[in-house]
Amino acid sequence: MRKISYFLLCLVVFGCGPGKKSDEQAFLDSLNNLELDAPMISEEVIAEIVQQVPSPLEISYLLKDAGTQYNFGFLNTPDNSSNYNSNFQKAINLGIYGTDLGYANIYEENQDAIKYLNSIKGLANDLSIGQYFDFGTIARLATNSKNLDSLLLITTQNFNDINSYLQENKRSNLSVLILTGGWLEALHITCQVAQANPTNTQLIEKIGEQKITLDNIVQLLQFYTQDPAIADLHKQIVELKATFDQIEIITVYAEPTMEEVNGIIVTKDNSSTTVNITTENVEAIRAQVLKIRESIIS
Amino acid sequence: MSEEILKALTQLYAIITKQDGGVTDTERDFVITIFKEDLDQDSIKEYLALYDEFVGYGKEVEDEPDRKKLTSVKDSVKTLAICRKINKTLTQKQKVVVLIKLLELVGSDRNFSSQRMEIINTVSEVFNIVNEEYKLIESFILYTGEDRLDKEDLLIARKRADEELQFTKQLEVSISGELIFLKVRSVDMYFIRYLGQEEILLNGFAIKRGLTSHFSHGSTIKTPVGDALYYSDLVRHFLSEVESVSLSFVASDLQKQFPNGAFGLRDVNIAEGPGKLIGIMGASGAGKTTLLNVLSGIDMPTAGSIKINGVEFFSDESEKIKGVIGYVSQDDLLIEELTVYQNLYYNAKLCFADFSEEELEKRVMSTLANLGLDQRKDLRVGNALDKTISGGQRKRLNIALELIREPAVLFVDEPTSGLSSRDSENVIDLLKELSLKGKLIFVVIHQPSSDIYKMFDKMMIMDVGGFPIYYGPPVEAITYFKAATNQVGADKGQCPTCGNVNPEQIFNIIEAKVVDEYGEFTNKRKVNPTQWKELYDTTHKPEKVEEIHELPPRSLKIPTYLKQTLIFAKRDLLSKLSNKQYMLINLLEAPLLAIILAFLVRYKNSPDSLSYVFRFNENIPVYLMMAIIVALFMGLTVSAEEIIKDRKILKRESFLNLSWNSYLLSKVTILFALSAIQTILFTVIGNLILEIHGMTLTYWLVLFTISCTANVMGLNISSAFNSAVTVYILIPLLIIPQMVLSGLLFNFDKLNELVSTKGKVPVVADMMSSRWAYEAIAVRQFKDNEYESKFYDFEKDEFQADFKSSYWVKELKNRLNHVIENHKSTDDATAAKIRGNLELIKNELIDEAGTSVVNDIDLNIACDPTKFSTAIGLELSRYLEKLAQKYLDEYNLAVQKKEKLIYGLEKSFSYDLGDIKNQHYNESLADLVRNLSSKERIREFNGRLLQNVDPIFNVPKAPINSINYRTHFFAPVKFLFGATYDTYWFNLSVIWGMTLIMYLTLYFELLRKVIVAMEKVGSKFARKEKL
Repeated sequence: MRKISYFLLCLVVFGCGPGKKSDEQAFLDSLNNLELDAPMISEEVIAEIVQQVPSPLEISYLLKDAGTQYNFGFLNTPDNSSNYNSNFQKAINLGIYGTDLGYANIYEENQDAIKYLNSIKGLANDLSIGQYFDFGTIARLATNSKNLDSLLLITTQNFNDINSYLQENKRSNLSVLILTGGWLEALHITCQVAQANPTNTQLIEKIGEQKITLDNIVQLLQFYTQDPAIADLHKQIVELKATFDQIEIITVYAEPTMEEVNGIIVTKDNSSTTVNITTENVEAIRAQVLKIRESIIS
Repeated sequence: MSEEILKALTQLYAIITKQDGGVTDTERDFVITIFKEDLDQDSIKEYLALYDEFVGYGKEVEDEPDRKKLTSVKDSVKTLAICRKINKTLTQKQKVVVLIKLLELVGSDRNFSSQRMEIINTVSEVFNIVNEEYKLIESFILYTGEDRLDKEDLLIARKRADEELQFTKQLEVSISGELIFLKVRSVDMYFIRYLGQEEILLNGFAIKRGLTSHFSHGSTIKTPVGDALYYSDLVRHFLSEVESVSLSFVASDLQKQFPNGAFGLRDVNIAEGPGKLIGIMGASGAGKTTLLNVLSGIDMPTAGSIKINGVEFFSDESEKIKGVIGYVSQDDLLIEELTVYQNLYYNAKLCFADFSEEELEKRVMSTLANLGLDQRKDLRVGNALDKTISGGQRKRLNIALELIREPAVLFVDEPTSGLSSRDSENVIDLLKELSLKGKLIFVVIHQPSSDIYKMFDKMMIMDVGGFPIYYGPPVEAITYFKAATNQVGADKGQCPTCGNVNPEQIFNIIEAKVVDEYGEFTNKRKVNPTQWKELYDTTHKPEKVEEIHELPPRSLKIPTYLKQTLIFAKRDLLSKLSNKQYMLINLLEAPLLAIILAFLVRYKNSPDSLSYVFRFNENIPVYLMMAIIVALFMGLTVSAEEIIKDRKILKRESFLNLSWNSYLLSKVTILFALSAIQTILFTVIGNLILEIHGMTLTYWLVLFTISCTANVMGLNISSAFNSAVTVYILIPLLIIPQMVLSGLLFNFDKLNELVSTKGKVPVVADMMSSRWAYEAIAVRQFKDNEYESKFYDFEKDEFQADFKSSYWVKELKNRLNHVIENHKSTDDATAAKIRGNLELIKNELIDEAGTSVVNDIDLNIACDPTKFSTAIGLELSRYLEKLAQKYLDEYNLAVQKKEKLIYGLEKSFSYDLGDIKNQHYNESLADLVRNLSSKERIREFNGRLLQNVDPIFNVPKAPINSINYRTHFFAPVKFLFGATYDTYWFNLSVIWGMTLIMYLTLYFELLRKVIVAMEKVGSKFARKEKL
């Protein structure tokens, strides 16, 4: 008797199912009729802007000079890589891991570096750009901080290659996402380090300087807002931009002068940039970046 | 007889004789004769003295009439006491003998006073002898030949049947006077009295005139003229059944020659009617069993014919006599696990389709009762090691299995071998009784005891080389052979004092060896088989039997095929259920293996190594293969012995002409059911431990299917080979190719070129059910799990387009560039390469576009090396570029759709895709079916480009040939007869198709036939080598 009632219960449950399912079915059907969206802007323009965004690894030097301790807690754990299902998640986290790899590398945390490398490898393969990573070489370089220059060179080169490949294949959205991820993670780490070293003005200024890069990124993301996931991200970044907009960057232009240094004539940039940033600004940025990043890596 | 009983009997004699006038000398003499039969000289005196004392012999009789009455009352009381004492010790048969003795005692001087008769009457009552029978015995003993005596159970033999004296039973014998036979029905004993003047010999001894003698089994009566009356002939007159059986069994000029040329039988002639028990004796190797096999129709004679009621064996008509013959082999043909009753019951059920359940039960019980097995009916039959019933009982049960359907002709091979003398006698007694009921029974017998030997109606003696050298009454065989070798006392077959015969004597005579000059036996026989045969032929004329032409009676009615299947299945199931070890092992095997296997391969594999997640279990692909191998193994081992085990029973049942198909179906049904249980246990437990969700039914169906195939495969080898050991040795031979060619252990592309076709599953692997099963389960698990099923269609587009744009077009471009650059070269090697490249480009593009004209370029012309020009090359190049763009767009669209889907599912329908993926998607399996470990993504083979990655997403092109089912491994769909099928269902159908084919080979026993043929060829070669 009990069995029969279970059976009936199952029937009822299944019987009630389609109500929810039909919505989903309609959604699925809508997907089948989807047409290919392409960004309004040409690939060349995108590439140009992408070029202007500095490599996140550059921040790593700064952090090392600040003399702070390595903190794995700042980073996105490489174990998360298996949680990313969509190309959106994969690409943006690939960027994040790239920065994390650089951070682990300057502190000679080789075990962690290898782990990040593996995660990067997995994500890159999933995005069919695995062929642009010579993992053997990177692994060798990444396990020795003395090779940081080479690593920087090779990753930049890689990124350029990937970029042109993706561009060729009309998948620049991925480049943009990788870039955004890398930048965001660098900003995040800097904010975290800055919070631990509130007296380090250099770090804080660096954060402020990101206003310029952020403008580029907002611009880039803008092109792809037809992708709902990117649209969401764009919205968040725009909010972040609002905070950054409170920061003032004043550049006082002065003519460059020629000087002789050790017998070589060099051009000296005499312009000076002042960044007006308050601790409140930094805190607000830190909190916002943390939130955005959280929504990306989880 | 114990002293006590003897004393009691003596008293009884005394009491009777002293009544009414006391003992006379005649009576006293009679008592002495009775004593003489049982006692030695000294004891006789002792008991006679006792008798005299009781009876008061020699004392003066005090004639006091008034005391007489008193004495008789006292005697009556005494009589009662004595009879009660006797009742406790003597069997009914012995009691009947005592009663007869008492009557004879009274009859010795014919003093039948009422007192005496009254006492005898009392005795008979206390002895529980039915009054009617008592009256019959009385009239038999008191008969003097003057009055008319005509009773059902009496037979009178006399010179000629008087017309005025028509008896119910009478027999014509040339003797003076009358010979009367009495049958005491209740104890089944026969007695004779002779009233005449001649010397009639009973077993070689003269019958005393007027006295009653026990006419025991195998007795012979000889008249002075030399006529012989055999026990069986006489007894037949008392049995009414015999008359109604019309049967003739005629074997003429039988010859049997073995394949190696040796003779098994020569010139055997047998002609018999109903109701005979015929023994077949002979030295070992003389061809007894051969004879029995030929007579029963198991073996075909090389020459000669056998007819039952005119219907010849091995002819078109032989159907008509099916079921008439019964055969009890030397081996036990019992189902060990079943009880005595069940053995008989299911056999009966297969014989009598038209019986109701009650009738069946009655029939079985009466058969059991007849064979004295009714007390043992609920005991398991068991085997030699695990005995529950005795050897004799087993033998009787074997006979019962044949008897229950009452065949008219029964062949029994050495029923007494290995039995105690008592059991032997019981068994032969039983056969004798049956023969008396009208059956014709042939028994191969070995070293029979005297009593058993005498029970036969006829004895056939065979000599080495298949020569029949004697065929006639058993006791006469001894006199015949003695006479033939001029031995003393040739006229006496049995021992003059004890009546025993010694059948060994016959063989001593037949096989007597010539003695050499040193007095040692040589190997040469005094009389060789041929001479014995000639001698027999000259001295004996073959008997004729009246051939009957009506069909022999048969009670056999075989059930319908379906019913047979059910009966077989029920019987098999019962026997399996009663074998607790077998059941336990079979039911525990699957769960245990599942636990061991699944437990071992479950490990903490999540990225943080803290927990188990199905998705990251790298052992899943191997686990799936092991599951298939386990299913194969279980299926094979459980069935491999089935038919071998039953072969004995099948041999017995071959006489019933039952349906082989029904038998096989019953086997298959039970095995399939067992496989279903085993595989469901395995799947459920394995999937629970490994947290494989939503695939239980999928796995089970595959494992069940594969197990069923293995079942039928096992039945095939079980039917083809003779011993269980051979079969178990064969199992690895069957399993290992299945493992090797399952598709997981070795890549199909990396097998020997002789068997492999690049890009397709090799045909040898297609013959392995494991490969179909593995593909089915892997494809289904990957493609249709709860996670991947949402994305499969998009990913299929995505990865296919990706392959085309990233590899395929690129490869074609490279080749085209090579052609453009080098097409003017005159170098032979380059020219060959150009030809090859152009051919490949043409093939690929035609296949791609489905037409030979693309973009206004006629590929047949464009790819002709003689007509190729740079302009054409550039044109083609542009076309390739267009293709690349097309696939790029397709790819991006698929990716976009997938991205939207993921976003939608997570945001709008709140799916936790990560969780779903962890539970349903396995990375290692994905790597396997996407072949990501392969370095080469694209390869050239036979002028075509083969996709080496993502076989699971690679939908094969429909073949031109509609019966071409071949695709690459892990293809998501299959084709046949112009239709497309899902791989899972297609593969399952293929395996069931294999099962069906193997069932057919099983049904036609093809494997067995092949093996027999091979053995024949082998032995021919061996013989040639010898020559």
